[in-house]
Amino acid sequence: MQDRSKRRRLARSGSTPPLRTAFFPAALALAAVAGAACAPASAAAQGARTQAPLEVVAKDRPGDAGGRIVVTWREAPGAPASTYRIERSSDGTGPFEPVGEAPPRSTRFEDAGAPAGDPFFYRVVAVLPAGEAVSETTSAAFSRANWFRNDRTNALILVLAFMGLIVGFIEAARRGTKLFIRRISGLSAIDEAIGRATEMGRKILYVPGIQSMDEIQTIASLAILGYVAKVSATYGADLDVPNRDPLTYAAARETVKHAYMEAGRPDLYREETVNYITYDQFAYTAAVTGRMVREKPATNFFIGSFYAESLILSEMGQTTGAIQIAGTAEVFQLPFFVATCDYTLIGEELYAASAYLSREPVLLGSIKGQDIAKALLLVLGAAGVVLTTFGNPIVANWLTMR
Amino acid sequence: MRRQLPLVMTFIAGIIPVIALFSPHPIVVNIAARADRWLVIVYAFALLLGVVSVVQSNSRKIARRDKGWPYAVVLLTGLTVMGGFGFLGNFGIFGGITTTPDGRPTPFQWSYSNVFLPLQATMFSLLAFYMASASFRAFRARNLAAGLLMVSALFVMFGRIPTGEAVPFVPMITEWIMDNPNAAAQRGIIIGAALGAASMSLRVILGIERSHLGLGRGE
Amino acid sequence: MHLVDRLLATDRRIIYLLVGLGALIPLLIPIGLPVTVTPPVRSAFEKIESLPAGSVVVISFDYGPSTAPENDPQAGAVMRHCFARGIRVVGMALYPLGGLSVAVEEINKVAAEFPVTYGVDYVNLGYKDGAQAAMRRMNEDLHELFPRDASGRPIGELLLMQEVRSLKDTDLVFSFATGIIGEWWINLVNAQFGTPVAVGSTAVGTPKYYAYLKAGQAVGLLGGLKGASEYERLLSDHYPDVARIYESPLLYTATQGMDIQTIVHLVIIALVLAGNILYFTSRIMRRSSPGGRRA
Repeated sequence: MQDRSKRRRLARSGSTPPLRTAFFPAALALAAVAGAACAPASAAAQGARTQAPLEVVAKDRPGDAGGRIVVTWREAPGAPASTYRIERSSDGTGPFEPVGEAPPRSTRFEDAGAPAGDPFFYRVVAVLPAGEAVSETTSAAFSRANWFRNDRTNALILVLAFMGLIVGFIEAARRGTKLFIRRISGLSAIDEAIGRATEMGRKILYVPGIQSMDEIQTIASLAILGYVAKVSATYGADLDVPNRDPLTYAAARETVKHAYMEAGRPDLYREETVNYITYDQFAYTAAVTGRMVREKPATNFFIGSFYAESLILSEMGQTTGAIQIAGTAEVFQLPFFVATCDYTLIGEELYAASAYLSREPVLLGSIKGQDIAKALLLVLGAAGVVLTTFGNPIVANWLTMR
Repeated sequence: MRRQLPLVMTFIAGIIPVIALFSPHPIVVNIAARADRWLVIVYAFALLLGVVSVVQSNSRKIARRDKGWPYAVVLLTGLTVMGGFGFLGNFGIFGGITTTPDGRPTPFQWSYSNVFLPLQATMFSLLAFYMASASFRAFRARNLAAGLLMVSALFVMFGRIPTGEAVPFVPMITEWIMDNPNAAAQRGIIIGAALGAASMSLRVILGIERSHLGLGRGE
Repeated sequence: MHLVDRLLATDRRIIYLLVGLGALIPLLIPIGLPVTVTPPVRSAFEKIESLPAGSVVVISFDYGPSTAPENDPQAGAVMRHCFARGIRVVGMALYPLGGLSVAVEEINKVAAEFPVTYGVDYVNLGYKDGAQAAMRRMNEDLHELFPRDASGRPIGELLLMQEVRSLKDTDLVFSFATGIIGEWWINLVNAQFGTPVAVGSTAVGTPKYYAYLKAGQAVGLLGGLKGASEYERLLSDHYPDVARIYESPLLYTATQGMDIQTIVHLVIIALVLAGNILYFTSRIMRRSSPGGRRA
């Protein structure tokens, strides 16, 4: 009783405020202090949520054989991460396992270990100075084998344009449009060379290259062989076609037999006309050069794909005094043929031969289409050179095939 | 049928790699890989055909005593002996094809290393001699183009040896010739030849070009 | 016939004799011409110098006997470098004749010069066909691709291969190539899997590899016999033991070969110049002869 009255007296005297009135300010002050202490933590938590990567999307990588999923995101503004950690789970709730990391400022990651058909859920964790910020989880993503490689669209456009030009000119030729191709001296000389062999009573040696039928130069060579065989049969000249490759041997036999039949001289064809020697490059060369020296053909044809043996064959032929016509698209062997042969078909002249010799409108049309395509490519190339020189690689990039 | 079947097969075999270039789908890739393996199998049979042809033509030569028939005897002997060593070696006779289990060479390996390899090296060495005779004859400055060819050849030949490298400017000129006119000309030929090859391939795939199949235009 | 015309029509056999002597004399009497090392070769050398002992280098013999005179010295030099540094070698071949002969002979010859053991310090896995397909598989599983080594031993028995399961466990691929296979290593293995690739090519094929070197896709390039001689020079300068091996009179070295190449090049240059001098002399003589100009 006394204490209470004493406190009332003290309170009335103003020395200390009454307890009830003192409590509220104290509580307020305490709350303020506590709030001030807690503010950074909650602000941090609040801040971390806003610093999480945004717009996280996971999708199948287009244009591949499956097994890859691409995760993209946007960096939160004002929150540069020191690294991004990409995590994934097979259901949306977890557990999430890390599948890789991406460097700062990146916005894309490719998960190369995602088997096709299984669902995967991704989230991106930004590693920040203050801690980590975890993004929203994506919806289920499935990797799939695609039917088309998007990164090769440029190549597809070029291929289709090329094919369109060729087919277009073939159709034009079929409808009767006259098409001109320039004189190719090596091809014009074939008849004269075969005539020379007939007059001298010596044979014609035709080497169809050393590669197999999967090399397009060999096929072009057989087209010319058909013509040479037909003319030889017409003139009654002896033809010898030694082969290094077994498939080429089989195809050359058919070609020559057919040509002799077309010329109306099937009786002239002998089994030895087209023969197989051996698969070894230099053993074949030794056999052919031996034949050149012993049998001294009047005319040598070296048409097709050749490697190191080109100079041995043509130089040996030179010593026997034969007239020599060569044709190849192997750039390293062309100089040897040019130095030792009377006529050389360079690169695409070899491929134009069948059209040139037969004068078939359809074949001429394809040559025309190819020439136009080359002209367009030249223009594109020139534009690319100019643009790249002035710092704009747009054409150069577009012409690059991945 | 004889005419259509090769054309159809050519079309299918030709179009598959083109599609495989643009499609990563496992089905397409597997078909393309399988086509490659078929080529290997067909090749093996064609090789057999080639061997039969060699044996037939050389036997005929020996029987008729044609000019040079002793060489045919040498050829058939070599074919039988080497082929025999390799073939029998596959069944464990001689201990293996190339090496016996204790590391010694088999007769096949011995013939290969001591007969075949020196012969191959000899044939390849002929190139050096032929290059000399071809150079002597062909590198004559008959006109401007031939003159440029000769000068370039001399610089490159000289610049590629230690003596030439010691001479000032020669290495620089050599590199310039290789990197500029040479590379440009090569690229031009390669691009032209590639377009020609693409056009020819298209003709073959579409069946427009068919002389290599032994078929004429009218068929 | 005037002397000039007689000389212009020189029998080829004289020319062949001159070339033959040009090749034989330096072989019998070594000249020892100086060899300057070019950057592509130095780059390849320094790459291997940077690998610590115990690293694994794949050496691919993608050439055959026909280019062995150029590629054998290259392969030999690089292998000697590896063995001298304690680097382990996995040998293979993607070119048919490479696996049959050159790989076996070259590996055995070089290994005999060092204290190395087969199966521990080096292996020869032999030939595998389908080069590009094989390269793709190599990055996944070497053991599936080469179930046995060149002499038929199961690959699992080889100590070295127990540690090397795929290309990912190797530090460098060095391809000695006669043709396009070196390009396939660069385009497939380096471009797609990131394994460093160096190439030793024939002289004819070297120009095209310069482009890859400049683009950084190849870490080094040995061009022809010259490249091999430069590598031998670097080896002899840094490793006295290897220098002693190269001094052996029975060993065919690239440096010896360069002497021969130098002399033969000079012979051909002399022949070309002589041919032109004779040709122009003949023309001048014809023009000034009483018969007048040629039609």
